[in-house]
Amino acid sequence: MKDIGPIFRALTRNKLGAMLIALQIALTLAIVTNAAYIISERAENIARPSGLDEANTALFITNLFDSNVDQRQLYRDDLDAIRSIPGVLAASPAQSIPISGSGWGEDLYNDPEMPSNESINFGNFMVDEHGLETFGLELVAGRNFRPEEVKVRSFDDMDLPDNLIVSQALADELFPDGDALDKTVWDEPNGERPMRIIGIYDHMQNAWPTSSNVNNTALLPSIAMFGGQMMYVVRSEPGQLQTVMTAVEEYLAGNRSRIVDIVRSYEEQKRRTYSGDIAMVKLLSVVIATLAGVTGLGIVGLAWFSVTQRQKQIGTRRALGATRKDIIGYFMVENWLITTAGLAIGLVGTLALNWFLDTQYEVGRVPLWYLPLGVVALWTLGLVAVLLPARRAANIPPALATRSV
Amino acid sequence: MFSYYVRLALASMKRTPVLSALMILALGLGIGAFMTTFTVYYLMSGDPIPHKSGVLYAVQLDNWDPNEPPTESAKDVQPQLTYRDGQNLMNADTPAKRQAQMYATNVVVVPEGDDPPFDESVRATYQTFFDMFDVPFLYGQPWTDLDDEGHASVAILGREMNDQLFNGENSVGRSIRLDDNYFEIVGVIDDWQPMPRFYHSDWSRAFADAEQIFIPFSRAVDGPMGPSGNTNCWKPMDDSLPAIEGFLQSECVWTQFWAELETPEQAAAYKDYLDNYVREQKEIGRFERPLNTFISNVPEWMEVMEVVRNDNRVLTRLSFLFFLVCVLNTVGLLMAKFLGKGGEVALRRAMGASRGAVFSQNLVEVGLIGLLGGLVGTVLAWLGLRAVENLYRGYQHLVQLDPVMLATAVCLATLAAIIAGLYPVWRVSQLPPAGLLKTQ
Repeated sequence: MKDIGPIFRALTRNKLGAMLIALQIALTLAIVTNAAYIISERAENIARPSGLDEANTALFITNLFDSNVDQRQLYRDDLDAIRSIPGVLAASPAQSIPISGSGWGEDLYNDPEMPSNESINFGNFMVDEHGLETFGLELVAGRNFRPEEVKVRSFDDMDLPDNLIVSQALADELFPDGDALDKTVWDEPNGERPMRIIGIYDHMQNAWPTSSNVNNTALLPSIAMFGGQMMYVVRSEPGQLQTVMTAVEEYLAGNRSRIVDIVRSYEEQKRRTYSGDIAMVKLLSVVIATLAGVTGLGIVGLAWFSVTQRQKQIGTRRALGATRKDIIGYFMVENWLITTAGLAIGLVGTLALNWFLDTQYEVGRVPLWYLPLGVVALWTLGLVAVLLPARRAANIPPALATRSV
Repeated sequence: MFSYYVRLALASMKRTPVLSALMILALGLGIGAFMTTFTVYYLMSGDPIPHKSGVLYAVQLDNWDPNEPPTESAKDVQPQLTYRDGQNLMNADTPAKRQAQMYATNVVVVPEGDDPPFDESVRATYQTFFDMFDVPFLYGQPWTDLDDEGHASVAILGREMNDQLFNGENSVGRSIRLDDNYFEIVGVIDDWQPMPRFYHSDWSRAFADAEQIFIPFSRAVDGPMGPSGNTNCWKPMDDSLPAIEGFLQSECVWTQFWAELETPEQAAAYKDYLDNYVREQKEIGRFERPLNTFISNVPEWMEVMEVVRNDNRVLTRLSFLFFLVCVLNTVGLLMAKFLGKGGEVALRRAMGASRGAVFSQNLVEVGLIGLLGGLVGTVLAWLGLRAVENLYRGYQHLVQLDPVMLATAVCLATLAAIIAGLYPVWRVSQLPPAGLLKTQ
């Protein structure tokens, strides 16, 4: 480190080159830190568990276009047939599935007097008595639905079922004292449409990944017959999803009064819903990687040039007794000084950029511990980039000093 | 002289191939990244109907729950209308030149012959839709007023659908089966793809294809063909009515509503009309919130609907900074390159070249590097756009590299390189020839 003095003085003689690299480092730190933060936010969002047995679940949507078919009977026949397919663990009718972007949001009241703006929003999932097992939910209190409790809901009969099973999160929000089981809740204000909570399951997300109450969900024992669209959720034995999907699709397509619109594994559905976030993660990762490459190569290029320029001085230093290590050390320290100056500006730049992105586009605040990580990463990048030109400098023979003068 | 400078530039680039390649690559990457994100942003924020976007207005009425927080701007109000308010406006004598209520529904199309049935999105609307939005017709014409009033089973097909079902022949007078009903075809529209699809632009639909089947609103409601888009409700439906009637008379919003207002005076008169309508409705106990009506023309509506997403803006800003890094990088490399050329420059100066000549000769070299960087950038932008198309769903019609963007990319790169090169080139042209020649 005793060389810092002369290195610094030498630097001041090529201010522009050093400033350019420093600025580049500063901008790189600002971009990389913010991009990394956005990536981790999105990745965290995507990784949240939906509550389902994701790897072994698929959904099927069919569209019935012959109004002469008895839809209620078709539901029974379909479910019997699907449940008898080998490898099927459970199957249920449904009108929505978590994190699909499409579903029913409704409000619940824990008190007939509760005003409408205080009602508690939840994602309504209409299933039959196999719903709990099909969605892979664990009952933490109470009981499952009985077959006779499942109601058919259609344009002719909008009656709600008499009971429901709620997620732990919804139970806690409705009854913060923890005594939600067996309580009555209302689907509408003024004590209309009561339902009883007969069970509580651990966790399931609603249909909208960005909603603030994504964990408020409930199963309602009902079969939806609003138009010809019919949806089934099927859970397979572990590892058998592909075979089961093929068999179920083949069965469903056998009926000529309907078309099979969607046959989709749950994982695929989740990828589709999160496609914007996944795209953001991938694009920003490419940005970080290329940016590191460009900045690194820029350092290599400039250092290489400065080695060429200083060939004679390097030769002279070697002739005067400097070791190869001394020469490498010189370039490393020089680069470290420039990088560090850049990083100092970059820290301010990172916070400024984050402030701008957050106030304008609501990306959130970068946690401060990201900053030292970014600094260490760019120090490393700078040192690695300068290594090659530095070694080239070290290989300049001392004899060069005596030549060509 | 210029071609001589170009030859000199090529020779000079060959002498420092690594440095030159690095500069071209850096510029190319910067341009590629920025052009990719900017193209998406530019296309998303494009005007879908340029010649009329100022006179087409989306209508909003604030019929929501009085207990909800107060309304501050159009963004706080539901973007759709109830069935009954839309119907009341359609049936009234308003100051608008044209109005159309509409919604999207899903049907199964059952082709004649052996082709398998398939699912299709249908737009239920009024005949005014076609003139209001300047929809071009290939065959036939819009259905008539009488068809709207008579709940007629008529349909208009898009060109693609007509190609698929009728091999592109004039299908006017023939019929199409939707679910288990037949509709008589009265018209076929030519290619028509407003982008973004302004007339129904929920976040998931803004870049969706225009529908390929259109039927009268009144007929679709008779169906009943339920809405396939968002339906939002805040108030319980009337239990005493049959379910469908209860839904139609409810405060649920699920229809889009547009009006064509040709002058600012007409727009003001229409806005007054809406305010009066809401006041009347307040008297029968509806619209319990403070009076809030909004009309927004197409560009304003695209803002209200936040069609350009924050993610796209973030990506555009970040990739612009990325581009800046690449330019800084190029300045540094150019400095290195040109200062290394001191000897050659000194020689040229000594042989009689003026400072200006040296300056312009080296600027040509910088421009050439920029041009090549721009070309590399264009190729990268093309690849980037293909990647974006694969990453996002529903961007298929959106992501195209048009000639304007192509030219912009190349010009931007050349310009950036020249700006980046100005200082190094000026520095090298100021070098005194004598001193440098001596050291050789």
